[in-house]
Amino acid sequence: MMDAAWRRSTRMSQAGALLATPTEKPREADLAFDDLYRSSRDDVYAYVAGLLRDAAAAEEVTAIAFERAYRKRSRFDRRRGEPRAWLFGIARNAALDELRRRGRQAELAAEPEDLAAVPAVESAEQSERRLALNAGLATLAPRDRELIALKFFAGLANAEIATVLGISESNAGTRLHRALTKLREACDEAL
Amino acid sequence: MKPFSEMRDEELAAALRSLRPEPSPAFAAELDQRAAAGFPRRSPQGARNPFARFLAWLRNGSMMRLLIPAGGVAVAAIAVATVMVAGSNSGSADSEVATSAESVEMSGSESTAVGGSADLAPLTKQAAPEAAAGAEAAPAEEANESSSIQVEPQVFNGAGNGGAAVTAPHRDVERASQITIGTKPGEVGEASSEVFETVHRYDGIVLNSSTQNGSGTQAEANFELLIPSGKVGDAMAAFSRIGEVVNRHETTTDITAPTVGAGERLQDSQARIEGLLAQLSEATSDTEREVVEAELASERRHAANLKAKLSNLHRRANLSHVSVRIVSGKGALSPGGSDKDESWGIGSALDDAGHLLSVAAGVTIVALAVLAPLLLLLVLAWLAGRAWTRRARERALT
Repeated sequence: MMDAAWRRSTRMSQAGALLATPTEKPREADLAFDDLYRSSRDDVYAYVAGLLRDAAAAEEVTAIAFERAYRKRSRFDRRRGEPRAWLFGIARNAALDELRRRGRQAELAAEPEDLAAVPAVESAEQSERRLALNAGLATLAPRDRELIALKFFAGLANAEIATVLGISESNAGTRLHRALTKLREACDEAL
Repeated sequence: MKPFSEMRDEELAAALRSLRPEPSPAFAAELDQRAAAGFPRRSPQGARNPFARFLAWLRNGSMMRLLIPAGGVAVAAIAVATVMVAGSNSGSADSEVATSAESVEMSGSESTAVGGSADLAPLTKQAAPEAAAGAEAAPAEEANESSSIQVEPQVFNGAGNGGAAVTAPHRDVERASQITIGTKPGEVGEASSEVFETVHRYDGIVLNSSTQNGSGTQAEANFELLIPSGKVGDAMAAFSRIGEVVNRHETTTDITAPTVGAGERLQDSQARIEGLLAQLSEATSDTEREVVEAELASERRHAANLKAKLSNLHRRANLSHVSVRIVSGKGALSPGGSDKDESWGIGSALDDAGHLLSVAAGVTIVALAVLAPLLLLLVLAWLAGRAWTRRARERALT
């Protein structure tokens, strides 16, 4: 179904709406969702993996998030936010459901190295800094880690983060600043 | 190495971005395949049992998927209820006519609009003042004459257990019945003849009658009748068969007390007359004789009055007053009644459609009255569930 759309979407401009409005034809809505998928697949995975810190669970949740978004694509209302924020809201709910199911509250359980693959060429200082950052992220509260994942892993702007979390943009900026401060302290302790 | 606290924001951001998790090529390829296939549904986790599968279906399904069958069920329920209510309405209408025509089998009461003749028949036995021992409390006979019947229950129950019926006190009951019969304008004369035949058959008396024949819509007849009380039930049933019963009303009045009182006073008066006669035969002077004769004449007048009153009471108990009215024209016959010659036309269809619509509207209102609170509860439960889920998700982060 989406093959043709997939090929055409590569030629389409990334600018403008990523999702069609409900009044548009279904075909156009599919094309718009294809664009959203292509532009957000890795970002969604990075956010979910950063929050869950489990590669297998992150893959499962990412797949579920896109599946849910695809089913709900006709119900998207542009007046309530940008398509990326809408998609990340769905991904967040799926990730939190996974956290609830596991009852582990985003604890760093295993495979941290899978999440941050070791670069082929890396100095000792870089390696030490990477390990300290990983350790600092692991000690952060899940709520703070989520903010950092949304900002630096998924690449969302503060306004988009605010939409995803249901808070104001200024509040999102403040929380992000506090999370970074905590991360610095945690990383220094890990050094 | 520079501590993190001394790093600039840009440096820390770059360091964090370097840690960004990337999906494995295998996963990316698999997800791309699923995207190209339109994200086909996978069997949800833990959905092996039917209930979990149903929950997953509800969770994944759109509102339309739920609304369409729910709306269909609601419409079907309203339709079934409408048919049932309409059926019961027409059934009750039919039964009204049927019960009117079968008055003999109806149970009676003090005042009945329809029926009530057969069981009251035992009440209309002829007056027997000497048997009414329990009627001493009848000094105000005129006041009690019009009182409604107050019969002890065992009088009626006696029919089922023999002996009690024999020992029960006899009551004198006056009955009055009115019946209105609907017929076609051209059949008023024929119906009047049947009324006369019925009166004759049951040994009744026609007090007065008036018949206005004609083919117009104003033809009607009125009869004031006296029917022996023991036969009034059968007579009413016969009247009911003449045409369609439009209205029927029966009343009963217990006149036992005035009857017993009049009988006792008559006995006393006769005893006094006998005493005065004896006194007259023993009178020795003309003056004494004249005085006794004057008293005797006065007592005889009093006895005659009492006898006339007692006779009148007996007649009221023995003969029931029946008013029969035969009407015709519009409204005299109900649709589908005995007016079988008139065909079912567009007007009838419109009437039926209007009736059906009004019934449907009523059923819909009742259904909404029942469903509205349920829907409100469902909406509240749904909102509460959403709020609970949102909080539970947020709790997962703390």
